[in-house]
Amino acid sequence: MKVISQFLRFDGGDIINEKLLEVKDVCKYFEVKRGYKEPQYVKAVNHVSFEINKGETLGLVGESGCGKSSLGRTLLRIYEPTSGSIKYRGDEITHLSKHRLLPYRKKIQMIFQDPYASLNARLTVGEIIAEPMVIHKMYNPKHRIERVQELLKTVGLKPDHIRRYPHEFSGGQRQRIGIARTLALDPEFIVCDEPISALDVSIQAQVINLLEKIQAERGISYLFIAHDLGMVKHISHRIGVMYLGHIVEMGPSNEIYRAPYHPYTKALLSAEPIPDPKSARTKKRILLEGEIPSPINPPKGCPFVTRCPYAMEDCQVAMPNSYKFGDRLVACFLYSPRRLRQRENFSIEPLLNKKQED
Amino acid sequence: MSLLEINNLTTQFKTNQGTVSALRDVSYQVEAGEVLGIVGESGSGKSVGMLTLMGLLASNGRVTSGTIKFDGEDISPSNLDSKKKRNDYENKMRALRGNKMSMIFQDPMTFLNPVLKIGIQMTEGILAHTKCTKAEARKRAVELMKQVGIPSPKNRFEQYPFEFSGGMRQRIIIAIALACNPKLIIADEPTTALDVTVQAQILELIKKITKDTGTAVIMITHDLGVVATLCDRIAIMYGGKIVEEGTTDEIFYKSKHPYTEGLLKSINNSEKDTSEPLIPIPGTPPDLLNLPKGCAFMARCPYTMKICKAQQPVTTKYSKTHSCSCWLYCMDESYITVS
Repeated sequence: MKVISQFLRFDGGDIINEKLLEVKDVCKYFEVKRGYKEPQYVKAVNHVSFEINKGETLGLVGESGCGKSSLGRTLLRIYEPTSGSIKYRGDEITHLSKHRLLPYRKKIQMIFQDPYASLNARLTVGEIIAEPMVIHKMYNPKHRIERVQELLKTVGLKPDHIRRYPHEFSGGQRQRIGIARTLALDPEFIVCDEPISALDVSIQAQVINLLEKIQAERGISYLFIAHDLGMVKHISHRIGVMYLGHIVEMGPSNEIYRAPYHPYTKALLSAEPIPDPKSARTKKRILLEGEIPSPINPPKGCPFVTRCPYAMEDCQVAMPNSYKFGDRLVACFLYSPRRLRQRENFSIEPLLNKKQED
Repeated sequence: MSLLEINNLTTQFKTNQGTVSALRDVSYQVEAGEVLGIVGESGSGKSVGMLTLMGLLASNGRVTSGTIKFDGEDISPSNLDSKKKRNDYENKMRALRGNKMSMIFQDPMTFLNPVLKIGIQMTEGILAHTKCTKAEARKRAVELMKQVGIPSPKNRFEQYPFEFSGGMRQRIIIAIALACNPKLIIADEPTTALDVTVQAQILELIKKITKDTGTAVIMITHDLGVVATLCDRIAIMYGGKIVEEGTTDEIFYKSKHPYTEGLLKSINNSEKDTSEPLIPIPGTPPDLLNLPKGCAFMARCPYTMKICKAQQPVTTKYSKTHSCSCWLYCMDESYITVS
C-alpha cells in the first residue's frame, strides 16, 4: 500500500518551474442596486495577485463569503473581472472575446461543489461526459464513446455505466462523473470549488486520492478551494488565506500550518478541531470575536482590523502591503520593516507567541 | 441510575420501495453531565435515533421494539397500539420536549420562524412549561441571551431572525434549548453549517454550558475533530447500528472496529507535519432497504471472513466503557449459530 501511495503523491520537487497562470491585481465587484439609491458594490475579490506553476496545487482557504469561490470563477471568466489581468502561459486572457477564449476554456476547467446539482438529470452519464467534447468539436462520435469509457475507468467507475443516469449514483460516484467530464478536454489547470464538502467523510478521502493520482499522471495544476483545513493541507503545495476579498497570507502549506504569520491565519488554524483528543485538550484556541464584516461596507484600512487582537493605529488607516519573507507573503503591518526594526530580534514568530501569553 | 437508558431500540420506515430499517437494536446510556458523541455517515441512523428519542418520527416511521427510560420515567414509544396509549405517550412527551429534554438543530437558517420576533420564539417554551408572567419570561430570555454571548440583548429581543448572522442564530437556538434548564440537550450537527471560526465559538459555548449547568449533551456529528474536542464518550454508528462505543481516548487510540479504524485513517490531521497518504474506505455506505444478513460493513471491510456474511456480529466488551461488535474480536465460538 505504502509503495503505491508514494507514486501517487506528486511531491514538491516534481513541480516544474513553469508559470501556468499569472494573476495580477484582479478585482471583482458585484453591483447591488437598491431602489433609487446609488448602486453599491460588493467587493468580492480585491486586488488579488498570485501565480500557479505547472503541476502545482494552490489551496485557497477562508470563511464563507470571503470571495474564494468568486475568485475561482473569475479566473475561468465565468465572472468577468472588474479590473486586473489574468495571463495563461503568458497570454493575456482577461479581455478575450467569447470566441477567442474557447481554446483557453479547453485548458482551464472546473469541478463544482455540489455533485447533485452540477449534473444534468436528463442526460446519461455518457452524454454528460461527452458534452464538452461535442462543444469543442473534438473527435468523431465513435471515438468519443471510447474516450468516455476510458475516462470512466480513470475515475474508478465501470465503462458500462455509460448508459446510466446520474440519479443511479451516490454522491461520491457523481463527483467522480463530474471529474471525468472535467478531464474530457485534457485540461492543464482545474479549479476545484469545494469538491469534497458535500461528501461523507469516508468518501472524501477517495476523491482526494483520485485528484492526486490524476495530478501525478498528467501534471495538472489545481486551484483547490475548500474550508476543510486538514484536507487542504494534505493536497496543497502552497496555500493562500483569504479574508474579505484579500489574500492575507500565502506560502508553502507545511510552513503556514507550522507557523502562521498573519493574525487571521493564526486564529483560523487554531479554530480547526483536531481529530486527536490529546492535542485537542492542550490546544490553545484564539477565539475571534464577532463575524466577518459585510463586503459591501468593508472596514477602512486592513479588512481584519475589526476582529484583530493586535490591531494598531496604522491598521485603521491603510491596507497593509504584502511583505515577503522567503517564499511567503503576509499582508499585515506587524511585519512591516519599521515594526520589525523596532523589535529586539528580527525573527518573526516570537512576536505573536509573546502576545499570546499576555 | 443513568439519566437516559435506551435498550434494543429498533425503528423502521415504510416506504414505497419497502421497509427501511433505520435503527436496528440500538442500546446506550447517557449519564448526567456527560457529553456523548454519536458519529456516523449520512444514512447511518444517527439522526433517526434522536428523533425516535424525542418522539418526532415522521408518520411512516414506527418503533417496533425497545425501551427508553429518561430520568426514571418510562417513555418507550413501542407498543403504542391503542389510541389511549398513543395519547398518553404524546402528552408525556409534550411535557418533556423543550423542558427537561431539548434539541439543537443543524440548520440555524431554517429553524427559526422568519415572521416572528426572536423574543416571541424565545419565550414560547418558557411560557408553555413554567408558570410565569410574560414579563418574567422576558427577563429570563434576556438573561439567556446574555449567557450565550449576544451583545445588547434587550434590543435584540425585538428583532427578527433575518437581522441575525448564522452564528448568532445558532446562539439563539442554543438559548432556546437552555430555556427551561434541561437535563439533556440533543445537538444534531449544530456546527456543520457554520464556519470554522464560528464553530470554535459555538463549541466553546457548549463546553461552558455543560460545565456550568451540568446538562448532559448528545452530540451528533460526522466531524471527528468536533468529537475529539468536545466529547467524553463516543458511539460510532454504521448501517443503523452502534458498531463501537467507548471513551474518547479509547476510540481514538485503541479503536477496534475496522470501520472506526478506516474513518481515522481517511482524515488528515493538520497538526502532523508529514503528509501521510490518506487511506480511504472503499465502496459506499450500505443501502438500508436491503441490508445484508450478516455485518453491514462486510462489503467494505478489509478483514471479511465467512461468518461475517452469515450472521450479525456479537458485541465484545474490553473495558467498562469500551465495546465493539465485530467478529474479529469474538473469542467464544458458542455465539456462532450458523454452520
